[in-house]
Amino acid sequence: MSEKILHSYSGIFDTPDEIIHAAEKTVEAGYTKFDVNTPYPIHGMPKAMNLEPSKLGYAALVFGLSGTLTALFVMYWMAAIDYPITVGGKPFFAFPKYIPIMFEVTVLAAAIGTVSTMLFFFFKFPNNAHPLHDTSYMKKVSSDKYGLIIQADDPKFNEDEVKVFFASLHAKDVEPVYYDMEDINASPKIYDKKFIGGLALTFILVSGITYFTLNKLMFMVPFNWMMYQDKLTVQEKSSVFPDEFGVRAPVAGTVARGFMPYEFPNEPELAGEVLLNPLVPTEKNLALGKKKYDTYCSPCHGDFGDGDSRLRGQFPNPPSLHSEKVRNWSDGRIFHVITMGQNIMPSYSSQLTREEKWATVLYVRALERSKNAKESDLK
Amino acid sequence: MSSSQSNVDYQHKPLPSSFTKIGTALLAIGLIIVIIGYFIDPTRAAFNNLILLMFLVSIGLGSLFLVGIEYLGGAVWSTPFRRITEFLASVLIVIPIIAIPVYMHMHDLYHWTHNEAVQADKLLKGKEPYLNLEFFTIRIVVFLLIWLAFYFLLTKNSKKQDTSKDQGLTKKNIKISAIFMPFFALTITFSAIDWMMSLEPHWFSTIYGVYYFSGTMLAALAATTYLLIYLNERKLLFKGLNQDHYYSFGALLFAFTNFWAYIAFSQFLLIYYANMPEETFWYLARWEGSWIVFSIGLIIVHFVVPYFGLLSQPSKMNPKRLKFMSLWILFAHFYDLYWLIMPTYNKEGIVFGWMELGFPLLAVGIVALMFGLKANKQNLIPVGDPKLIRGINFRL
Amino acid sequence: MSSTIDYSQELSVVEGKPPLRSIDDAIIKPLDSKPDKKYYMALAVTISMLGIGVIGLALSFYYGTGLWGNNNPVGWGFPIVNFVFWVGIGHAGTLISAILFLFRQKWRTGIARFAEGMTIFAVMTAMIFPAIHVGRPWLAGYLMPYPNQHSLWVNFTSPLLWDVFAVSTYFTVSLIFWYVGLIPDFATLRDRTSNKIKKIIYSVFSLGWRHSNRHWQHYEMVYLILAGFATPLVLSVHTIVSFDFAVSIIPGWHTTIFPPYFVAGAVFSGFAMVQNVLIFIRKIFNYEHIITLDTLEKMNKIILLTGMLVGYAYGMEFFIAWYSGVQPEQFAFVNRAFGPYAWAYWIMVSCNVISPQLFWFKKIRRSIPVMFVVAVFVNVGMWFERFVITVTSLSRDFLPSSWAYYTPTLTDFAILIGSFGLFFTLLLLFTKTLPVVSIAEVKAVVDGAQPSHKDH
Repeated sequence: MSEKILHSYSGIFDTPDEIIHAAEKTVEAGYTKFDVNTPYPIHGMPKAMNLEPSKLGYAALVFGLSGTLTALFVMYWMAAIDYPITVGGKPFFAFPKYIPIMFEVTVLAAAIGTVSTMLFFFFKFPNNAHPLHDTSYMKKVSSDKYGLIIQADDPKFNEDEVKVFFASLHAKDVEPVYYDMEDINASPKIYDKKFIGGLALTFILVSGITYFTLNKLMFMVPFNWMMYQDKLTVQEKSSVFPDEFGVRAPVAGTVARGFMPYEFPNEPELAGEVLLNPLVPTEKNLALGKKKYDTYCSPCHGDFGDGDSRLRGQFPNPPSLHSEKVRNWSDGRIFHVITMGQNIMPSYSSQLTREEKWATVLYVRALERSKNAKESDLK
Repeated sequence: MSSSQSNVDYQHKPLPSSFTKIGTALLAIGLIIVIIGYFIDPTRAAFNNLILLMFLVSIGLGSLFLVGIEYLGGAVWSTPFRRITEFLASVLIVIPIIAIPVYMHMHDLYHWTHNEAVQADKLLKGKEPYLNLEFFTIRIVVFLLIWLAFYFLLTKNSKKQDTSKDQGLTKKNIKISAIFMPFFALTITFSAIDWMMSLEPHWFSTIYGVYYFSGTMLAALAATTYLLIYLNERKLLFKGLNQDHYYSFGALLFAFTNFWAYIAFSQFLLIYYANMPEETFWYLARWEGSWIVFSIGLIIVHFVVPYFGLLSQPSKMNPKRLKFMSLWILFAHFYDLYWLIMPTYNKEGIVFGWMELGFPLLAVGIVALMFGLKANKQNLIPVGDPKLIRGINFRL
Repeated sequence: MSSTIDYSQELSVVEGKPPLRSIDDAIIKPLDSKPDKKYYMALAVTISMLGIGVIGLALSFYYGTGLWGNNNPVGWGFPIVNFVFWVGIGHAGTLISAILFLFRQKWRTGIARFAEGMTIFAVMTAMIFPAIHVGRPWLAGYLMPYPNQHSLWVNFTSPLLWDVFAVSTYFTVSLIFWYVGLIPDFATLRDRTSNKIKKIIYSVFSLGWRHSNRHWQHYEMVYLILAGFATPLVLSVHTIVSFDFAVSIIPGWHTTIFPPYFVAGAVFSGFAMVQNVLIFIRKIFNYEHIITLDTLEKMNKIILLTGMLVGYAYGMEFFIAWYSGVQPEQFAFVNRAFGPYAWAYWIMVSCNVISPQLFWFKKIRRSIPVMFVVAVFVNVGMWFERFVITVTSLSRDFLPSSWAYYTPTLTDFAILIGSFGLFFTLLLLFTKTLPVVSIAEVKAVVDGAQPSHKDH
């Protein structure tokens, strides 16, 4: 008995009416550290025990709202900022479509958060070492009896008075409940060899299995069947065709949709005379021209057409576009050079459409004018 | 059981005279405005009249449904307040009168009544077997007859029970309610389709009836909640009205606020997502001009305010909060009906003037007078109902 | 028999007035006794069914989904039908435990735990199908938004992804709800058992619950909050499942009533399944006084109600399809009722709309054999409803040249049988390992278990 400390006194009641009455009396007597244990919640007990209303609603609200906002933020960032993709012609931030997931995450966060708050924060569970466990009192109240305990750390606690008090309530089986010092002093067994060994083994097993699955298993039959299919991919030999090419050329005379033949492949001067720029230098056309110029022309001709390219030295430098010669060329002549190439410059027909070429010409014209601006241009 | 009935502490007292006075005054003012309105701008008045009609159908038919569902579900907590709901259902008696002006202005309201337009329009031609004046008239008459028949059946038995205290009447009413339910579902759906959805005869939505139903429930519940708090404040009900009674009403208002939002969102999302022109134009019409403000306002008025107003547990039990929220929800339902109906009248934007004020006044006047008339004649609680005592002593 | 209901008295939820300890005994008995022969026979049947499913799945994994009937244009065959069916079955559990709790329907207590268990097992079964339908389920991790080597994110605007969130949230929350309900029962079990190993297990799961009223107060609050969240959740889950269909523009799928209609259908089929299983449970474990005939009758009323709601939705779909004047829409519905799948459509209508009408009669509502048969019909009918929705619309859409008739294969059926096997195997194991009726909740509704309100 020497290692035992008194935790509380317990008494048993038979009916719900009695226990409500007992709880009310206990509050009246001024005890604060007492508890009522019943196999199921009794209506009106919080009032009888003078308990404050549960504040868990606030936990639910906080967790729920943070779930909503997290979901909204995460989706907004992923789908509208980090990697925007148009889906169904809707804006990147299509709020109505975000609502379902926002709702689900709200519920998930609120449910997990509220329950965890209650169990781990309010109740300090798990707690299997509480002195009430494994008492005959506990066995009764978890089945069909209603119990009341008054704790020894209550400021008004006095062993004799409490006994008298229980007697005045007509409680049965009034018994003391003790802490067992052995249980309290027992140290956790975290540094046990077995425990650490088990932990290490689990770690090794899990990593091993993960490694095997991701790096080996996924490349074995049948998981690799999608990787190796009975079809030819690019650059593969075909046994069907005599020329052994897997990729077939189109039938002779095939014309792509929207294809327009160029009329003056070998007559640059004629092209310069005949071809006229169909585009007018609007803001839109110039923007298109600038975009194409910056992409395809500027690597050699330089950002402003000076011939001071970023690739200087690797190729013979192209001439400046601001030379007298080029400035005196007609639009059609420049168009011809873009289309057919000149000297070392290749044709840009496969990169630029007809319209884009003319827009580029417009932009080149704009560059030329800006480099050789006259006073009259300022007006 | 006869012994338990005797301890209901209730004596019938008439309503305060101010109740009927204010009701009559509102009715008179409303009526004058409405009549002037019909002289000045009959089309606009007809549209407003339609809102009024649907609002009264919501209160009347919704209340009748609440009475029926109480019998069917065997609900106990609402039994002491069933009379309030029954009295509200008496609004159904005036519905035929309100429906007459709508009927007289069919041509102004409904595009599909223009025969030449229907003949020129393939879609409307296809709908002609349903959307034609004769069938429309027959349907409306049938709906009205069904509603009135069930109203008189249910309330007659309930009234009889006050004196006879016969439990068989409860059983009878349960049976009547069961039969009422399918009729209710069909009539409320098709009346909503006929009176409101066919304003835009090209548009269609399968959920429309459910949408109107959700608003109906809110209106009927809110009206009942407001009146029971009003009556209780004047000590006209029984003693011992407790928090749990309030809580039940608060919780139901909260639940149906969410239900309305759920239905409204489902309809919107599906149409928004699929983006089919034959459906989207209905929402687009409500997204143009000043209607956009009104549409966003609908979300706030009909969902955000009642949701946060009734979210916490104490607010559902607080009579003051409930009183405010129930009035707010009634306003929100009117707002909703305006949103459903008025864009057909004016595509450019919101129309608001003295006429739009007059019709709600008339609505309140009608409800108050109908309620007052009934309440002064009958007991305010069903004193003969076997579930009454249990209802009064109800605890969650 | 019950023509003389006294409406002034509350009906007892638990028949008789059993002593509280006898409730412990009755509910815990199956856990403490060795299973009998019948149990093993039942288990043998369900495990064999499960085995058939495992074979079907193994073959599908090895050879690929080509073993199934899914093909153009019906890409959503059995897997999606089964998915929707099983998710629907799950809904009854949450409805009983959450919605009826909010409505303070005390009769739910006897069946809530069991129905919640069914929810969890049904959702587990359901989750298999979308996973296998993607063809390579081992890559299902990509369904979750996590930073990956492709620097791509999932498509948050796709209803299929909403499904991932909805179903996994639903599963998690149901599990929490179930476990929270089980904590006090674990404590009761812990204090009763004399077996050492069992005691440790029960202690761990009870978390040291002490039946303290300082705890009960928060516990009841948490239960209310969970119910408050689970109710819109259960609605949202089947709503989102319906979005899978309804946000598309396929005729017969795109209709605004789908969300509430799917929810009603889910509750309908779920209640029927609960009804089917309950009838056995109460008989085998002698729970007739806890799961009373009155409870079953109330279930039948809900089946009737939801059956009518589903019927209403069928009717509205047809009416609005005609009313809309949209040709493909009109065709889709005529095709459902009179096209090549007319047989499935009429099975659906007769099982779902016509057969529950029997429940208008009180005698039938209280007759166990009849209600069992009707509940089976309802389950069959609801499976066919999903079949009709999925297959008829896909098999004949806008382009007549691609129309085709969908025929499921043996593998499809094997997996379907396997899903039933899995569900019932889990249920059978559940009945022997955990209390299938909530001990604490039932005690709380026994007559005389609550204080008389004499002071009020």
